[in-house]
Amino acid sequence: MAGLATTFGSGAMTNSINEIENAEVILATGSNTTEAHPQVARRMLAAVDRGAKLIVIDPRRIRLAEFAHIHLDIRPGTDIPLLNAMMRIIIDQNLVDDLFIDMRTENYHQLRDMLYRIDLEETAKTTGVPLERIKEAARVYARARKAVICYCLGITQHISGTRNVQSLANLAMLTGNVEKEDTGVDPLRGQNNVQGACDMGALPNVFPGYQSVGNLDFREKFEAAWQVRLPEKTGLTLMEMTHCGAEGLIRGMFIMGENPMLSDPVLSKVEDTLANLEFLAVSDIFLTETAKFAHVVFPAASFAEKTGTFTNSERRVQMVRRAIDPVGHCRTDADIIMGISERMGYPMGHESPVEIMEEIAMLTPIYGGMHHDRLESGWGLQWPCWDRGHPGTPFLHKYYFTRGRGRFIAAEHDPPSELPDKEYPFLLITGRTYHHYHTGTMTRKCSLHNRECGEALLQINGGDAGRLGVRGGDILRVTSRRGVIRITAEISDVVKPGMIYTSFHFSESPINALCIDTWDPLANCPEYKVCAVKIEQGEVA
Amino acid sequence: MSDKLILKKDHLTTFLRKLSKEYQLVVPLKNCHGDTLFTVIEDLDSQPPDLVNQPQNSLKEFMLPQQEVLFTYKNSPGDYSFSPATVKPPPTIFFGVRPCDLSAVLYMDVIFLQGRTDPHYLQKRENSVLIGLNCNTSFADCFCNATRHGPFLEYGSDLQFTDLGDRFLVEAGRSRGEEIVRKWGYFFAVAAKEDRARKYQVFLEARGGFARMVHVDQAIKRLREKKVDDSVWHELSLRCQDCGGCAYLCPTCTCFTIIDRPVDNVRGERLRSWDACTFAGFTNMAGGHNPVNAATDAIRQRFMHKLCYDVKDHGRPSCVGCGRCVGICFGGTDIIRFINMACEGI
Amino acid sequence: MGDILTTCVYCGCGCGLYLRVNDGRVTGTAPSRNHPVSRNNLCVKGWNIHEFIHHPERLTEPLIRKNGRLVPASWDEALDFAATGFSRVRERSGGDGIGVLSSAKCTNEENYLLQKLTRAVFKTNNIDHCARL
Repeated sequence: MAGLATTFGSGAMTNSINEIENAEVILATGSNTTEAHPQVARRMLAAVDRGAKLIVIDPRRIRLAEFAHIHLDIRPGTDIPLLNAMMRIIIDQNLVDDLFIDMRTENYHQLRDMLYRIDLEETAKTTGVPLERIKEAARVYARARKAVICYCLGITQHISGTRNVQSLANLAMLTGNVEKEDTGVDPLRGQNNVQGACDMGALPNVFPGYQSVGNLDFREKFEAAWQVRLPEKTGLTLMEMTHCGAEGLIRGMFIMGENPMLSDPVLSKVEDTLANLEFLAVSDIFLTETAKFAHVVFPAASFAEKTGTFTNSERRVQMVRRAIDPVGHCRTDADIIMGISERMGYPMGHESPVEIMEEIAMLTPIYGGMHHDRLESGWGLQWPCWDRGHPGTPFLHKYYFTRGRGRFIAAEHDPPSELPDKEYPFLLITGRTYHHYHTGTMTRKCSLHNRECGEALLQINGGDAGRLGVRGGDILRVTSRRGVIRITAEISDVVKPGMIYTSFHFSESPINALCIDTWDPLANCPEYKVCAVKIEQGEVA
Repeated sequence: MSDKLILKKDHLTTFLRKLSKEYQLVVPLKNCHGDTLFTVIEDLDSQPPDLVNQPQNSLKEFMLPQQEVLFTYKNSPGDYSFSPATVKPPPTIFFGVRPCDLSAVLYMDVIFLQGRTDPHYLQKRENSVLIGLNCNTSFADCFCNATRHGPFLEYGSDLQFTDLGDRFLVEAGRSRGEEIVRKWGYFFAVAAKEDRARKYQVFLEARGGFARMVHVDQAIKRLREKKVDDSVWHELSLRCQDCGGCAYLCPTCTCFTIIDRPVDNVRGERLRSWDACTFAGFTNMAGGHNPVNAATDAIRQRFMHKLCYDVKDHGRPSCVGCGRCVGICFGGTDIIRFINMACEGI
Repeated sequence: MGDILTTCVYCGCGCGLYLRVNDGRVTGTAPSRNHPVSRNNLCVKGWNIHEFIHHPERLTEPLIRKNGRLVPASWDEALDFAATGFSRVRERSGGDGIGVLSSAKCTNEENYLLQKLTRAVFKTNNIDHCARL
């Protein structure tokens, strides 16, 4: 999210999901939309049916690519060269929105100077896409009156993740494709409330509402409200914590509803950390791979057993309503947190989620008008919503960017840290499947999902499979410099030769054991999308 | 339907209140979120039935719930036993059932009661009284005129209501309906000749009032003559995003799957749960072979079943034209789109 | 029997869905026609969301590690144990010795409380969640 925050000032979808349906051009990149965000894909297909042009950037021939007018099947990790090439073409063909750049943005000269230095032929060669096709995509995007860019983890989970996002923002600003309805840059959030968790300050550097912990004014505001001194030093990010190891700084952890033992890269490092903690408390609905390391496990109430709010990808804060009493002796996470807090001498004393939301609204300007009674009627409110009278904000950056002027930040190609070589000849891409969700804690409990997709499958191109003598259903051993897993083969021409793809939902084939533990230095987002592996037939010894 | 009676609209709530004392009452209700669902009604005064909007769910949810326990089992040392599911549905009146949904129940009767009887379905069906309501105006996506299941229903309900403005024309169809009319006879007056004439007039207007022209017969003919090009299946299958929503919302999609689910270490339950022929796993065989290629033929079975096999077996399509699958499909793969594609170029 | 409108717990689309409740159990799911995102349909995950709620493997009571094994405990025991555990780490290693992972699955209210606990009680800004994964 650092990418959009630095260019636009706000790291969230600039549009609403329904606006996508009205766009003239949709550029989907790094997003297997039909599987991971079906409702967004529904809008994209509706737009295509209505005559919109669809550009898909993805190394794989994903289902969405079948509907694309232009599919740019780039080499993984070459997003920046591709986007730079597109922007150079746009400048060369005079399709730039000068007025927008002039009135609304800054630092354009830096981008332009950099773009003038690149060699188009060379850049096209880097991406593996014919220059003609890139030219066509650039023209189609730049000429649209209303163009939407949708991206997901295929953009961010790279070593250059932040700069990938900044390049997308550059492209949008260059052509004036922000600030309007049905037009913008939309990061699709992977989880139901990942937006809300960010908004609520479950981040090491900000209080709720992205108010920096380093800023004295903000800190004083929260100290006054909570009546306690607060630390000012920015905290550690997720991987700095889970990878800190037996001798690391972190000695105790509280993990609420997360499963780093399956979701984080290089699981051996996570295990080394968790197994050596002095104290680990886990709150979850199932005994996850992570909970097995805990000193104390709290049985949490599921979403059906509690009241509160979730914030979706389009910044819509919506009610979650309690349908049944907590099963067994479960309690809500709110009760668990307040129970611990009270016992540590800091009773929070909130009697209901309504009361908690009142405190949030008071301290968090973008949630200023969010109150349960307002959210109850209607379909929630989209932030920013400054006060009780504010109707919410369907699309961002109208008239001015959140940060004032939109900032161009030029980026140059930064190849993935590990590319295939003689020893590890295949490039591994990881992602999600339609039937499962994240670490499978919930979906793998559902018989239908298990029937439809009961195990991780490794997509391998027919040509490669033939060369290696692999048939569909064969058991393969996949090895990287960091680990080895066992997985079943699926012959598929969705992937190109030299590439393999699978999902991370299955603890039997924990693909993250293979992934590289490098990350984007700006957002600390792991480089899940590219690493080098080799494939052999047979079981893991 | 012999006797034709009149119930004044003013007396509808009173009539329903009487019924609710002896039956569980299920009616279309518009909730506080603006959605209309068939719901068990608890308080008639604060929740009047919504007879204006089409209910989003059908009676399938009540006759064949999304998930139901068939029996429970116990397997501990020395004790291996089964016990039947004990929940017995209360006698229930469904009021305000549109012809499409009523026809769908009649279709389910054929599936679950003809030949081998399904006791779980039978139990719920036996305990239900269906009060139909003819459609004077069609809803946005309806095409029951083309599938011949509406807009007026001629047979199959226990009582059939027709809206005549300030009154309902009420016709008793089956014995349970007659019983109700007899028991609460003081609500009803005998219909006058003008009322009957008015009903016919309303019917003619309703039949002419459909917004959509859907060539169901043509599509059936094309399918039977095998004139639907493979490319149609391929394109639609590519668009199908495997949600199962069309089958789940369809009032006549009755496929289910069986799941055995442990409750604890010794006990478990056998469930049946909605399934959909569009799922790849639906046709997957134990050895791993799948006779249906999901990429190219995922939705062939669905439309063939509705428009071809059922016409052959039962004389009319099992698509009742309710239009619930229209506009909800992630890839726009609804039955109207299929019919239009199948008939292209005629 | 009743239908409770709530928000789906899977992807970031945020569909509105009804949970069908029968005798205290969630037995089914239905989409909302008027919801701006769902528009009367759900994906296969949403349609089957009720399945995990009553799964027999759900944790139903607190567990405490004793002699290397996780054994059932009362809520008071478990919460006391946690409070003592975190207090000890805070004393020995300072607040920055504690790390907290919040959840993109939990509500805003719960995320708010957890960062409040982390900052006000644990005395550290070491809090993050899986936004990056």
